[in-house]
Amino acid sequence: MERYFDVRGRLGEAAYAGQQTNAGLPVVSDPQKTFAGITRGEYEDYVKDYRDFELKQIERATTDTSLIDSAREDSKVAGRIAGEVAGRNVSRYGAQLTPAQLQQQQRGLQRATTLGSIQSLSDSRIAQREANQALLSDLINIGQDLNRSSQSQLGNAAADASARKQAYDSAKAQSKAQTYSTAGSLASAAIIAAFLV
Amino acid sequence: MGSKPKKQDYEASEEEKVSASVAKANYDFFKQNYAPLLKDMRDQSMSDDNRRALRGRASADTMQALTSEPTYMKTQNVEGTGDLSQALGGQLGVADKSALGIKNKAASNVLGVARGQAADAASGMAKASRLATSDALTRARNKLAVKNARNAAIGKVAGATIGGAFEKFAPDSNLGKFSKEFFEALPSQVGG
Repeated sequence: MERYFDVRGRLGEAAYAGQQTNAGLPVVSDPQKTFAGITRGEYEDYVKDYRDFELKQIERATTDTSLIDSAREDSKVAGRIAGEVAGRNVSRYGAQLTPAQLQQQQRGLQRATTLGSIQSLSDSRIAQREANQALLSDLINIGQDLNRSSQSQLGNAAADASARKQAYDSAKAQSKAQTYSTAGSLASAAIIAAFLV
Repeated sequence: MGSKPKKQDYEASEEEKVSASVAKANYDFFKQNYAPLLKDMRDQSMSDDNRRALRGRASADTMQALTSEPTYMKTQNVEGTGDLSQALGGQLGVADKSALGIKNKAASNVLGVARGQAADAASGMAKASRLATSDALTRARNKLAVKNARNAAIGKVAGATIGGAFEKFAPDSNLGKFSKEFFEALPSQVGG
């Protein structure tokens, strides 16, 4: 591991950074080892930096109720703010409301707040469902891509293993045949020689 | 007899070395400069900054639209307070919805890139393992070829020894003539 400072001056570690050539290019003496090291490092980086994040997103996509919670809270706050604004305006103009007007205003505010709350909650439930489904479908698409490429790679690994086994079996058979052939030739030579002596 | 293979004949050419070096340099540059940015994006996607900004804007817009021009007449409008309450609640809901959409999109983008890198890594690993398999098979074939050649040589030596013995001790006998012909033909059989 080689330590470095990135463009923002933060300290990091570059995996498999080897010695530098004169042109500033790293020397890759064993490309296979470097390649394997990089791919392993990439996976480890994912696990370290993004695995928990991914699990949180999956959980959020299925359980998030932040919009609904917020709408419930906001309708109360909006009613309070509207009441305070009305009070300040009345005070600003030195106006007086009759008790009947005040009562009507309170009722109007309460009604609007209640109706607004119902409306907001209803809207937020729909919006929440849409948001969660959109996130979930994005995550599923990512997962599906991963699943597809993983199966393909496992298929390749299985094919490689099969090729190795076939090559080994074939080599064993060829070697045995070779040994028998040599032994047979020598034995037949010896038998013929014994008869001719 | 050919000469032994020289290791340097099988080393990478200059252009292969440079190609690998450039690829490695680009990879290092990416890891040093882009990977931290992706982590920043991950952290940003978890923050509530966008939500706060959008809610502030929604609140300001509502107040601007409904309370920027206060009049005495408006103070007497008892229904106006309820309208303001409903409008403010509705706008805050719209802001929250937009903020959550941005947050989710950012999160899935970050994950898509991170998973893409991991998938590239896994696909790279598959390539590396294929190269290793290919190497292993080549090595096994080479070992087998050497073993076969060794067997053939043993056969030749043994044949030559027996044939030589007959030729030496009974050169004019039928056995001597036969053995000479037989062992001359034998290496071509056992040598494969």
